[in-house]
Amino acid sequence: MGRLRGTFKLLFFVGIPLIPLFVFWFFPMLVSLWLSFTNWDYISPSFDYVGIDNYTNTLTSETFYEALKNTIFFSVWTIVPTIIIGLFLALLLKEGLKGLTFFRSILFSPWITPMVAMSIVWSWIFQADVGLINQILGWFHLPQPQWLTDSDTAMWAIIIVTVWKNAGWAMLFYADSLSKIPNDLYEVSDIEGASWLQKIKTIVIPLVSPITLFLVIISAIDAIQAYDQIQVMTQGGPAGSTRTLLYLYYQMAFEQFNMGQATALATIIVLITGVLALSMFYASKKWVHY
Amino acid sequence: MVNGATKPKRFVNYLLLILFGSVMILPLVWMFLSSLKTSDEIFAVPLTWIPSNPQWDNFSRAMELAPFGLYIYNSTVTAIFIVVFQIISSSMFAYALTQLEFKGKNLLFNSILITYMLPAAATYVPSYVIVARLGLLDTLTGIIISNIASVFTIFLIRQAFLQVPKELVEAARADGANDLTVLMKVMIPMSKSTIFTAALISFVQMYNNYLWPSLIVSSQEKYLITVGLNRFFTTQGTFADQWPLIMAANVLAVLPLLILFIFLHKWFIKGISDNGVKG
Repeated sequence: MGRLRGTFKLLFFVGIPLIPLFVFWFFPMLVSLWLSFTNWDYISPSFDYVGIDNYTNTLTSETFYEALKNTIFFSVWTIVPTIIIGLFLALLLKEGLKGLTFFRSILFSPWITPMVAMSIVWSWIFQADVGLINQILGWFHLPQPQWLTDSDTAMWAIIIVTVWKNAGWAMLFYADSLSKIPNDLYEVSDIEGASWLQKIKTIVIPLVSPITLFLVIISAIDAIQAYDQIQVMTQGGPAGSTRTLLYLYYQMAFEQFNMGQATALATIIVLITGVLALSMFYASKKWVHY
Repeated sequence: MVNGATKPKRFVNYLLLILFGSVMILPLVWMFLSSLKTSDEIFAVPLTWIPSNPQWDNFSRAMELAPFGLYIYNSTVTAIFIVVFQIISSSMFAYALTQLEFKGKNLLFNSILITYMLPAAATYVPSYVIVARLGLLDTLTGIIISNIASVFTIFLIRQAFLQVPKELVEAARADGANDLTVLMKVMIPMSKSTIFTAALISFVQMYNNYLWPSLIVSSQEKYLITVGLNRFFTTQGTFADQWPLIMAANVLAVLPLLILFIFLHKWFIKGISDNGVKG
């Protein structure tokens, strides 16, 4: 009787929540792996096993390496500025500052806006002839790039939007972490006559390094999954210059219905994400100060 | 710097905050100003900041071209359903993880932990087929049930449940409370603030979700705001003089979240710095 109740209890508390988790998370991950060894095209009911053909095709195609290059470029140039600006803003938000809540909310507000809506607004801001950015650049007689229609600048436009949206988010983490640094540390370095920059270097950066590591990993995983801003602003163009791995995956799966190729690419994306997370975890042991 | 607060330093500090704050809200302000302009004003070079005669009817004209009210309603209702189901199932699961003993508990938790890092996009092809097989393509139900699984909410609530003092649970059990009562009367009330933050953040993420819903829904009356907005942009964006209307539509889409944020900003900020929410 007791055992039966125990089993029932488990079925209830573990079984029910596991249904959605299995149906829409674990199971699809496995099916995706399985599909990557087939040539299924979604429409026809039958398919053949093609071994590792999808992987060799992907790994030998130029499109893949171009998308990989774009993904790395996009990731590095969104993560680095997001983290630097985030830390800088957090340093400006000192404890006891008048209007702290107000400034913090303003700086954070981009994070809650829908990426789709704001990407449309930014497409307007990036308009080459009448857009806000180019008009402002014009005031200072700076060069006015074509932004979204030029394959040299389109990715930068996407990067700017992404950094704009995420910097405030990084700031919140740093602000929390900075508030935990004991004041004595600053006082000691004040006595030693340390400059502003020295204090940043010797106190702030080492002490916030666990947060930096966390932000780098999460932002990298996030950058690999960026889609909305690319879809709205450039659709991967011009000339594939903003096509990331994930966007390529979307095009293969839901534009060309080449499910075999797409799921092979998904597996590669998963592997890259996994390796990234693990390697950073181990690297952290060397340079993160806990 | 950090806590030296001489006057000129404080002045520079404020100056920088005002500068960065302005840059951060400039796109939002520009969106709002543009939505009130005429198509001549919006294309003016040099630019005009303030519309000379605010075109408030841009909003009603945008809503005549596409049912944005319906889109926002669809998004809100869908997001609320998802959040409610997420919270219920995650609370049950977090209860099992923290209060019950069973074989393979650690394995189960660790495998969830590992897959948390993996891109959700990797599940899209099979999940799409599953939604299709369930006959739920082009339904809001399809979007709702495929989003109930939330590793993030499970983590957050588990974390909160771990903080609940053991004595409270033991006292409740001594009074003859069963598991469901302990969950409802002890664990959830003790973790109210975490659950509320999780719900809030999940709501924003689901309201803003685009890629997955755009695959599921195809008929206009089922569009979520993100899907409807982007369709509106791709159809109207080719007509240059429609830009004020597109901006008005953007304002409509962003407004519910901005209002939510203005009222509840403390919850967002506290929740994110305490719990480490994925962007």
